[in-house]
Amino acid sequence: MHDLLQRFLSLPWDQLPQWLFLIPAGIMLLAAAGAVVFRNLIHCALWLVLSFAALGVLYMALGAEFVGFVQLLVYVGAVSMLVIFAILLTPSDEVSASNNPLVHFKLSSAVNAVIGVAVTGLVLVGLLAAIFFSPRAGGVTLPAVAPTLPVAKIGENLLSHTLLPLQAVAVLLTAAMIGAALLAKEDKRS
Amino acid sequence: MLQILLAISAVLFCFGLLATLTRRNAILVLIGIELMLGAGNLNFIAFWKFSANPEALTGVMFAIFSIAIAAAEAAVGLAIVIQVHRRLHSVDVNQATQLKG
Repeated sequence: MHDLLQRFLSLPWDQLPQWLFLIPAGIMLLAAAGAVVFRNLIHCALWLVLSFAALGVLYMALGAEFVGFVQLLVYVGAVSMLVIFAILLTPSDEVSASNNPLVHFKLSSAVNAVIGVAVTGLVLVGLLAAIFFSPRAGGVTLPAVAPTLPVAKIGENLLSHTLLPLQAVAVLLTAAMIGAALLAKEDKRS
Repeated sequence: MLQILLAISAVLFCFGLLATLTRRNAILVLIGIELMLGAGNLNFIAFWKFSANPEALTGVMFAIFSIAIAAAEAAVGLAIVIQVHRRLHSVDVNQATQLKG
């Protein structure tokens, strides 16, 4: 077992072709599209989980392994559970007899949908134009040495440069946990 | 390669924006916000990878803190959705109009 792990780790991982990161990226975009277009909320949540997982793999492919594992732990492990529990706790009665699995809009909300799609299209065109046609576009190259991400350095950084933000996030997470529990609690007075 | 990563992130952001703007279910709106946050994190990682001084780990630190804050936001947001459902028996964002001025 240990030998197998050693052999697995000593494979030439750094010599993989660079375009391989497009695979998790493509899966992530397809899954994100699935999370948006399906009508069944559970399907949306499952596509969202796949999208988060592929995003984590993409982080790892880009060399940020620690962030990839954090993404998997926090999003695939915790946030997806929250989303699925919220969906199951809030049954909605909009399930109709129609067999169309994709979302469709009633005439009353069609204007909303058109405005939403138009705004999104504008934002997308603007972003892509800024990315590909800005004066400095294409001028960025990879640093000579591919950046690595030693976990020990992250720990050092957390406890030196970013000590204050770390403590602020600790307070924020505690407050958010207490606040979420209070908010979701049954209101006894009413 | 940086441009391709930024383009991927832009498309992901637009999926999130589309969900937030067009879906009426509050949980789908929150899912859209999570997708947009993921796009922001992907940008942080991409710029860290292509930065002149990746040893400073700035982008990575930003991404880690942003993931932590996104988790807190999801917890509070979904708790609010559950409370709204308890009061209005619906999670349709168009019906939650009690605070409308």
